[in-house]
Amino acid sequence: MRSKLSDILDIATSKSMTYQQKLFSLANAAERLVDPQEVLGYTDEEMTYIENEMICDLNEGYALYRPRYIVPDYYVLLEKGCDFLELKPPTDLDELLDSLLILYRHVPSITSFPVYIGDLDKLMEPFITDEQKDYIKIKRFLNHVDKSIPDSFCHADIGPEKTKAGELILKAIIELENPTPNMTIRYDKDITPRDFALKAAEACLRVSKPSFSNDKKYCKDVGEHRLVSCYNALPHGGGAYTLPRLRLGTIVKGVTSLDELLNERLPKVTKAMATMIDKRIRFLVEESNFFQTSFLVKEGYLKRENFSAMFGMVGLANAVNYVLKLEGLNETYGTSKRGDEIGHAIMKVIEDIANSHEGVYCERTNDRYLLHAQVGATNSEEDVCNNPAHRIIVGEEPILPLHIKQAAPFHEYFKSGTGDLFALDQTYLHKLDAVLDIIDGAFASGARYITTYLHNTDLIRVTGYLVKKSEAAKVARGEAVLRDTDIFGQGANERAHVFERRLRKDGE
Amino acid sequence: MENKAVINKIIPFSNVDGPGNRVAIFFQGCNINCVYCHNHETIKKCIHCLACIPGCPTGAIKEVDGKVVFDEKLCSECDQCIKTCQYSSSPRTKEYSVEELVEYIDGFKVFVRGITVSGGEPTLHADFITELFKRVKTLGLTRFVDTNGFFEKELITALIEETDKFMVDIKAVDQLEKLCGTTMKHNLENLKYLLEKDKVYEVRTVVTKDYMDVENTLHTVASILKAYPEVIYKLIRVHATGLRVEQKEKLQNSIPSEEYVRQMAEQVKEIGVQKVEMIL
Repeated sequence: MRSKLSDILDIATSKSMTYQQKLFSLANAAERLVDPQEVLGYTDEEMTYIENEMICDLNEGYALYRPRYIVPDYYVLLEKGCDFLELKPPTDLDELLDSLLILYRHVPSITSFPVYIGDLDKLMEPFITDEQKDYIKIKRFLNHVDKSIPDSFCHADIGPEKTKAGELILKAIIELENPTPNMTIRYDKDITPRDFALKAAEACLRVSKPSFSNDKKYCKDVGEHRLVSCYNALPHGGGAYTLPRLRLGTIVKGVTSLDELLNERLPKVTKAMATMIDKRIRFLVEESNFFQTSFLVKEGYLKRENFSAMFGMVGLANAVNYVLKLEGLNETYGTSKRGDEIGHAIMKVIEDIANSHEGVYCERTNDRYLLHAQVGATNSEEDVCNNPAHRIIVGEEPILPLHIKQAAPFHEYFKSGTGDLFALDQTYLHKLDAVLDIIDGAFASGARYITTYLHNTDLIRVTGYLVKKSEAAKVARGEAVLRDTDIFGQGANERAHVFERRLRKDGE
Repeated sequence: MENKAVINKIIPFSNVDGPGNRVAIFFQGCNINCVYCHNHETIKKCIHCLACIPGCPTGAIKEVDGKVVFDEKLCSECDQCIKTCQYSSSPRTKEYSVEELVEYIDGFKVFVRGITVSGGEPTLHADFITELFKRVKTLGLTRFVDTNGFFEKELITALIEETDKFMVDIKAVDQLEKLCGTTMKHNLENLKYLLEKDKVYEVRTVVTKDYMDVENTLHTVASILKAYPEVIYKLIRVHATGLRVEQKEKLQNSIPSEEYVRQMAEQVKEIGVQKVEMIL
């Protein structure tokens, strides 16, 4: 969506933003002041879908000057250091952590904060010499990240192998209870030892991280990848240029039959999104000079050839519910067999169009854009009727086993990421084996990504990132808070009541 | 063998009925009646007295040809029916064949490592469960039985052979008539028999004052279990939440303090039980 000149004064005089948030918001408003038809060559039809909000470009702007998500290969630091920042390869843990913190300041993204900060366990492992002393350093480092990268889309990966550093990281995140960094364990039950997986499951319950990703499945679909930002699976040493999303809950409005949706409206809008992505990538690669100027590219942290684009969607539940009503059924998405059929029919249309569209500068993913189940955002009134991704609307979830069985087949479509979240009750803390059984079962059913958390913790996962409930409450009172994601979290809760996600007691 | 068994409830994901995540199946019918029973509605079979029908707020229970018929889809799980029932039963039970249960379990097998049959007292359905267990083994799942130990072992040898592990709830070793309304006394003997066959995963005792000699029971069980270091002994402090009014009245002065249960657990450990757990 384009911005208005008046946005600039609104941002500058806001009472509820920090200095840094104002600075970034002003930059973002500037990117959206330029005319996308002039700069990118959007057609009238493409503009219509932005203006009627069927397609949301997540306010990425129209003068793209860096890829949305950047997934640097931090192993380059270990091997070569960084000439641009005058860093030599680290020789001990202190040097490594210091160099990483320096490097993070220079990794761009859509939020201006790094969305991926490395395989922290494997980067640290060669330098672990004294467990007790090193633990203090790791904990201090993680706390530094939380306070200096005030954005929970910042993501670290661990696993699938067990490491000493990995265990120290798990211990530290439980003690710190910080939202940032978001964290994933790339989990493969044939590689990840049970004891390490159980420790990760415990941390996931206590502090909502690390989430579990189905490493076998993602390796098969995306190859050498990392989990970044919310739960995006993107090529390592590259990333994603852009992520627009189809607002299915908006697209469906006014259709008179499922047939009309599947055969007329949805294909038109979906095709328009594909061509918009082409234009955005062309500008970024051919005109912005990002790949010509960034030291990350010059020094091998990134390769243009490792980038792809994400084909996002939200609001499947709302679209399905709309069609169920048209068909005269008193059922809702999540517990309706017909609802699932409609959901898969919608996804099939989107998948077919994405798979038949020849993308640009996406050789890493066979010239295709990868489907992504976007977690939602509060960019407009329309987001009220667009539930995150393919998720079931909070309050309408079936019992946990049926919920997982409903969700897993939808995970199949989303090669660049999706995930489901389950609030468990206290008893699972004493039965971590059962938590892992559930995750193993979900992955065996085809699920890609699972997060669990305890219902009564302050730190919870909103849609794909972590916020403290207490911080979100401050936002609701109009106070300034450190993290932009706390602000998003408050919006998500007002919209979708995510803090009241169904609690899974034993057996429910 | 029964072609069908009456099932009170199935919990597809249970984390309290044995190791890991399990499908827990609760069979209808019990051979004892404990003062603190939290599942009173599992004790007897429905006699179709129809008393529960008027109180059902959603019309999920109906009379058809003089019998109680239950519609699961309409049920709001308010439990009014089981509060009304004077016969320790429930209109919400359902009959299953072995085939139907296997099909149900198969739908969840990737999420669980096994099934646990409970009740009521599942050994009352030994033949049915033996058949069920044979089938469930082919799904690659473990098979546990949660029993009160009051069974005739000669009559259920096939079930014992087919079962991977038992979880035995030793109610008490004395005053059983007062606590459980039974004159049977062979629960301890059966426990020893199962232990010798390496068939016990866990032993439990609900700690209640006045209705049992707590120390005698715990010390007796502990003396037996010390020879089996891998078997868990779980001590559960009785609680009255959710019990019927008449049960609450009986128990009101008999709930031990947490501290007392902790002390008991210490004594059990001193006797030599390796794995002691408490639910306070």
